Amino acid sequence: MSVLQVQDLKKTYGKIQALKGVSFEIPEGAVFGILGPNGSGKTTMLSIILDVLNADSGSYSWFGQPASPDLRKHIGSLLETPNFYHYLSAVNNLKITNSISGRGDAAAIEAVLHKVKLYERRDSRFSSYSLGMKQRLAIAAALLGDPQILVLDEPTNGLDPVGIMEIRELIIELSKKGHTIIMASHLLDEVEKVCTHVAILKTGTLITSGSVEDVLVDEDIVEIGAADLEQLKHVLSNYPGATSTTFNAQTIQLHFPKGTASAEAMNRYCFNNGIALQYLSIKKKRLEERFFELTNN
Amino acid sequence: MLHLLRTEWLKLKNYPGFWWLMGMTVLSYPGINGMFYFVYKTETSNSKQAAQLLKMLLGNPFEFPEVFRTAAFLSSCFVTVPALLVIMLITNEYTYKTNRQNVIDGWSRNEFLIAKFFNVVIISLIVAALYSIVTLSIGFINTGADVKDKFQLANYVGLFALQTFAQLTFAFLLGLLIKRAFIALGVFIFYKIPVENISAELLKKYVHPEAGRFLPTESSDLLTPVPAFLGRFDPKVYDYSLSIINQQVFITIAYLLIFWGLVFWIYKKRDL
Repeated sequence: MSVLQVQDLKKTYGKIQALKGVSFEIPEGAVFGILGPNGSGKTTMLSIILDVLNADSGSYSWFGQPASPDLRKHIGSLLETPNFYHYLSAVNNLKITNSISGRGDAAAIEAVLHKVKLYERRDSRFSSYSLGMKQRLAIAAALLGDPQILVLDEPTNGLDPVGIMEIRELIIELSKKGHTIIMASHLLDEVEKVCTHVAILKTGTLITSGSVEDVLVDEDIVEIGAADLEQLKHVLSNYPGATSTTFNAQTIQLHFPKGTASAEAMNRYCFNNGIALQYLSIKKKRLEERFFELTNN
Repeated sequence: MLHLLRTEWLKLKNYPGFWWLMGMTVLSYPGINGMFYFVYKTETSNSKQAAQLLKMLLGNPFEFPEVFRTAAFLSSCFVTVPALLVIMLITNEYTYKTNRQNVIDGWSRNEFLIAKFFNVVIISLIVAALYSIVTLSIGFINTGADVKDKFQLANYVGLFALQTFAQLTFAFLLGLLIKRAFIALGVFIFYKIPVENISAELLKKYVHPEAGRFLPTESSDLLTPVPAFLGRFDPKVYDYSLSIINQQVFITIAYLLIFWGLVFWIYKKRDL
């Protein structure tokens, strides 16, 4: 079942077309990464599905139902920047989150503050927090009451490396418990590590979306190495099915159409041609590489 | 509705700015009325001829029932302080972007505005209560037992409350439109004092002698006419100002409907 269905969303700011008819679905239990360069429309899209921006056209639905405030109460969200009352403490800000959403209670507030490591500073004013602490409080607010759906816009903004790792582990833990997480991020490495699905936006257009596996793998790459690299080059020059070949200092990479490469066949081919391979691996593209390919950066 | 009020209370109860402005509001109403009352008492209480002449001229504006009208007029001059409070309540939400967070967390846009509407109502009621306390205090201190119909002008409590609510609503609308507290307050004062007074005079001169009383804040300003002693300088104008009060009530209510209608419409259409 789809948690969120987005249909042909369009949004303009004056002459700027921020979203140009974006459609996708997010399956239940997915960790859905939304990627895109600055200005690609990620935050605009999240703002629309959280009802702080009005779409020019298009629609979206949560669990097949039209969006409503009551549905939003069950979604933990961090959008763009931590938005809290500067003069209130962490506890008092979370009491407001609780009062509006109905998520959690006094014990849950303490629990989430422990979880994001803000408990010791729970009574300090928000204005006295560092950027990382503000972000932690925003994550605490999103986690309050253990909502089944989380919308996190750049959740690791302002966090130190330990904080980033903690958020990564938290997302993986929540995913294992069956939560659906929708996450916009610039950190491709993080997305690659935690996301099951991904959508890539560029200047308001959805370039691709699907499971991480499907998005990353557009071809098979076999990387091989041998003691005599020159002879290996010669032998592979006529290897059937390869679409291109890349030569590195120690290895050679052969590119094949998706799903056609066979490590076993290549090993046998090389052996039959008098070459004993020292190294053979079927490689995946890194998300970073694929992202740059798709966004032409 | 109660949960909206509870949430607003959570926002305000630990906000120093709110208590400072509330304190200023609480002090300013007794302050302005008390000041005029003591000036009046000082100037008219001695036995010199000039003092007695002044007393004859002024009458006793702080005696029941006239004190209702006098205190309403004097108090209406201090609407700027609660106006700043109201402006701050909405502009703070924009400054901290908490208005969008409230919606993200599960309020509808209408619920956010209904909560603010109740804030404005409650502040208006507090101001009206202050006016009532000051009026009754001064009235009872200053009125002899022989005076009948002490509460003949008690309807001014309602008129003052309506006037305050209308003017604070206008301040709220400006805060919502402008989003910056001090600019909104500046526009509020600038509009109320020079712009509307000049506009009223121009309308009176070039359009219709009565057109000025239909302006947004002038309409509610006219709910509390000048005290009777000032009316003696031009009895015709004074009598006219008393005669139009009921009409001004309807005009003010119409403006209230327009202002709140605009507030809800703008907030629905606007990106947060």
